[in-house]
Amino acid sequence: MTKLAVVTGGLREPSSTRLLADRLEASVRAELQGHGRTVESEFVELRPLGRAIMDAMLTGFAAGPLESAFETVAGADAVIAVTPAFNASFSGLFKCFFDVLPEETVSDMPVLIGATGGTERHSLVLEHALRPMFSYLHAVVSPRGVYAATDDFGSRTDSGLGERVGLAAADFARLIESCGARHRRDAFSEDLQSMRRLLDDSG
Amino acid sequence: MTPAEPAQPAEPTGTAQPEGAGEPAQAAESAGMQFGIFSVGDVTPDPVTGRTPSEAERVRAMLRLAEKAEEVGLDVFATGEHHNPPFVPSSPTTLLGYVAARTERIVLSTATTLITTDDPVKIAEDFSMLQHVSGGRTDVMLGRGNTGPVYPWFGQDIREAVPLTVEHYGLLRRLWREEVVDWEGRFRTPLQGFTLAPRPLDGVPPFVWHGSIRTPEVAELAAYYGDGFFANHIFWPASHTRRMVELYRGRFEHYGHGSARQAVVGLGGQVFMRRNSQDAVAEFRPYFDNAPVYGHGPSLEEFTSQTPLTVGSPAQVIERTLGFREYAGDYQRQLFLMDHAGLPLKTVLEQLDLLGEEVVPVLRQEFAAGRPAEVPAAPTHASLRRARSESAAQGER
Repeated sequence: MTKLAVVTGGLREPSSTRLLADRLEASVRAELQGHGRTVESEFVELRPLGRAIMDAMLTGFAAGPLESAFETVAGADAVIAVTPAFNASFSGLFKCFFDVLPEETVSDMPVLIGATGGTERHSLVLEHALRPMFSYLHAVVSPRGVYAATDDFGSRTDSGLGERVGLAAADFARLIESCGARHRRDAFSEDLQSMRRLLDDSG
Repeated sequence: MTPAEPAQPAEPTGTAQPEGAGEPAQAAESAGMQFGIFSVGDVTPDPVTGRTPSEAERVRAMLRLAEKAEEVGLDVFATGEHHNPPFVPSSPTTLLGYVAARTERIVLSTATTLITTDDPVKIAEDFSMLQHVSGGRTDVMLGRGNTGPVYPWFGQDIREAVPLTVEHYGLLRRLWREEVVDWEGRFRTPLQGFTLAPRPLDGVPPFVWHGSIRTPEVAELAAYYGDGFFANHIFWPASHTRRMVELYRGRFEHYGHGSARQAVVGLGGQVFMRRNSQDAVAEFRPYFDNAPVYGHGPSLEEFTSQTPLTVGSPAQVIERTLGFREYAGDYQRQLFLMDHAGLPLKTVLEQLDLLGEEVVPVLRQEFAAGRPAEVPAAPTHASLRRARSESAAQGER
């Protein structure tokens, strides 16, 4: 069984960011099922966690619902992360979630990135903002991300969004396959292991 | 290596046997648990009046609170150590030396002494001296310090904080236990034929606590040496403290110092009291809302439900504090943070009156009830000295 966590940072209802996240999730699920896997997906909507995320930033610990969201991400085999583009970058809320997410949570994690925006002129936000952040977090970022602009959802002519989603999902499914079973990362235990080695060496 | 030192002595009470000649009053031994206060020593504007105390006022206030702690019957006063404004206590043993002269009974400690940036030789000297000055009313709580810029001021590097802690503490232990020390390490100049002066009082090193807000390594270190573990317990939810204390207790047993229940645990706590709980909430709210550490974030109500902070009547504080035992087990030391966030001295003195007169007597009684016999009392100089002479007597047999 493959567990997908879908982190989505849209603010409005309905949200085009959520719409893109839904399409990516459905397509990845279909691909993985095509590989003979069963898939279980869980969505982490950031808007309802807004206050908890900022509180965690200020206090250093996560209140209950945010802690569950962390748990969803930590327990996943792969993550789909989608944000609106604000001022040529990811939204502040999206960044804050990953700023307060405990260290190592997405280390070695296959991640598919997606973003939405008013016009396609912002599409490089995927390469200039999302990809470097996830690389920094030691995630394994899928080579093809998906950017969707207003036109993708409303144009009379087919903008090719469906095809882009399909190709990205196919890549991502292959990446998940080749990454194999994921070992959950946990800074608490890893710090302890290194402390035990240090104490043994000191004796 | 697995150090197998005897567990902390378990005998509950007793008058100290005078050993040294002309020795000053020994620290009081309480029936099991010690209660006290710990101060960060922050200079914070009072959000109600907008007034910021001077450093001189803040230092005097800390000294006054330490004396007051003894007056109202508390067992421990502990000061933080900081080397940057807005904090004043950069030199804890200077401050505690004064308190030692003005008090007779209270135990003087720290929260925390920086084992990373302080030279272990100087820590050994300072606290050995304080033991003599205070007649054995001294212990020490070690911590790493988490302010990056402070490290280079003392020739260190925060990225090495963990190995630095292990090396420095290993040396500190030897300085207090061995007459002549030859030593070489990574972070300090070597020592050849070094002898500490003065030697620890009665040859008994100060008891060591290891204080931690969030790092499991500290619990491991405390367990490894069979020292005390103090969980800050203020800034994080109880679930975190439970995990850390369980880890420490389990590893204390693993390293052969005694059973998990015999491990020596201390907890922080944070309270604000008025007879009427609504008055406490109304008065404390502006201090909470503007507090440097957690202000402008969660509401007072959210924070009190998520962390051990209790704002209310003395009865509410008693009930909440007794609840700590449910997840930390029977423990040895409870310290409260009372003077912070710009609270005026007068208010804090009133808080100490309530704490000493109404809260702690009940806590002593209730915590003592049902406390298993195998759970040790809080270690003191007298109990450690007795344990040492008993093990020496056994050795002769």
